Amino acid sequence: MKKVIAITAALALAPTFAAAESFQEAFEMNRAMHGKNHVFEWNGNKYNTNHEEEVEAAVKATKANALDLIAKAKAKNKEAAEVGFEWKLTGGIIKDAEKAVEAGEYRKALDLAAQAKYHSRMGIQQHAYAQKHWHLSVPQ
Amino acid sequence: MRKLTTSICAAGLLAMVTAAPVVADGHEDKLALGKAVYLNKSRGNCISCHAINDPDATQAGNQGPPMISMKMRFPDKRMLRAQIWDATKNNPLTIMPPLGKNWILSEEEIDAVVEYVYQF
Amino acid sequence: MKIIKKLALGLGVAAAAQMAQAADSGFDLKTVDPEADRIALQNYFKSRFPQAEVSDYVNGIYAVDADSREQWEELEEFPPYEFAVEEGEVLFNTPFANGKGYADCFENGGVGIRQNYPYWSKEEGTVKTLEMEINECREANGEKPLKWAKGDIAKISAYMAWTSRDKEINIEIPADDPRAKAAYLDGKKFFYAKRGQLNLSCANCHVQGSNIRIRADLPSPQLGHTSHFPVFRSKWGELGTLHRRYKGCHKDSRSKPLSHQVEVYRNLEYFQSYMNNGLVINGPGARK
Repeated sequence: MKKVIAITAALALAPTFAAAESFQEAFEMNRAMHGKNHVFEWNGNKYNTNHEEEVEAAVKATKANALDLIAKAKAKNKEAAEVGFEWKLTGGIIKDAEKAVEAGEYRKALDLAAQAKYHSRMGIQQHAYAQKHWHLSVPQ
Repeated sequence: MRKLTTSICAAGLLAMVTAAPVVADGHEDKLALGKAVYLNKSRGNCISCHAINDPDATQAGNQGPPMISMKMRFPDKRMLRAQIWDATKNNPLTIMPPLGKNWILSEEEIDAVVEYVYQF
Repeated sequence: MKIIKKLALGLGVAAAAQMAQAADSGFDLKTVDPEADRIALQNYFKSRFPQAEVSDYVNGIYAVDADSREQWEELEEFPPYEFAVEEGEVLFNTPFANGKGYADCFENGGVGIRQNYPYWSKEEGTVKTLEMEINECREANGEKPLKWAKGDIAKISAYMAWTSRDKEINIEIPADDPRAKAAYLDGKKFFYAKRGQLNLSCANCHVQGSNIRIRADLPSPQLGHTSHFPVFRSKWGELGTLHRRYKGCHKDSRSKPLSHQVEVYRNLEYFQSYMNNGLVINGPGARK
């Protein structure tokens, strides 16, 4: 148990020792504190806190664009399923996006597809993290 | 708490005087949304682990700490927001789901639940 | 009692020695040591709940929470699974169309064998569960397989567990087939890895979070899981299999659950059952 604490402490302290925080860390901390549409500086450049899927959804609300993002979400979700980390709601969100397309609600469809694609990407990321860190919660 | 109520009242009065009741209503709506997020199982479900001194919050769990002295524990409200957004940042093993990072709640819902718990 | 304590102390020392040696690892195929894992888990719960007897963990949360134990003991006075066991016995003894029966498929006529499941099959290179072999027995005799989650399969399994009550769980990981240990490791990894939109591992609730309230519910300790399956859950109002419970738990992390009897669920069952070696079969059980 002490070991686990020591490792956790090391992880928590790591950013302090690192020369600079990674872009990922800076992005997440800014999104966590400020939400969407917040501008922050990292390594001298300016970025905003929208995720890549929100950026992808910020296109003209057309049927073609909506279908395109839905297809990307489906492909990503398939990747997540292949590593055994598909999330429960993602399939339903993709279906809702398809229904929105049928109803002509392309903005809604784009937003839903963005969320589904994001969920899939996070599932894949979760799998990669688990491969490296699952042992931390084993009692010693 | 009384201070807060007073200031909300004052804000309300001011709003009425300036003929912009939307502002006051907006805050009330936000608190109501925050409370719904806190209590609702398919939304935040915060009550499953955190007790809170709200008469509607019955049978709270105790996996996490109770929602008390929030202003003292989080002088910077944005740090409370960050903790809700992704508690694994401070403790990778925590049982608390990353409500923002995993897009369990929308950013608006997170803002609302921050306002709601920050009253306690 | 003193003897038991001394023995426990001895085991504790042995565990400490093993852990010291394997402290940096135990998480890959070369270093994973199931016996050290089992002892470490017991020690974890001994220090978490010093008042609970290790042998009592087959009773789940009722081993560590006195209040809910009282309600449960009342429930067990007229066990809700009683009829299901009787029906299971009838099903078990009803011959197939070809005249053969379940008893012909299992060792010792299928009586008193639950404690040996799941086991590693060297021939098939996979973990075999009791439910899997019930259906294989049917198919080998020209019958259709049963649905996995509940109903007849759970009843037959319940009867077989009933005939095995109080037998010590005895899961073996044959040393002469490294694939067996790999299956164990895969199950262990599944148990401890965080997953799903809620980012929960089995361990979040059933190790670190056990006996701490999630709303009004108390998650059970992982030690002793599987001993009482199939289980009659008040929530289900009927008997269900272990993999039905696995799917439910998996879904609770907001993952898309896998199918009954998929390899990783069987590996999880292998790992969890190994953790219970030395405890006894007490299935079928009754739970909330």
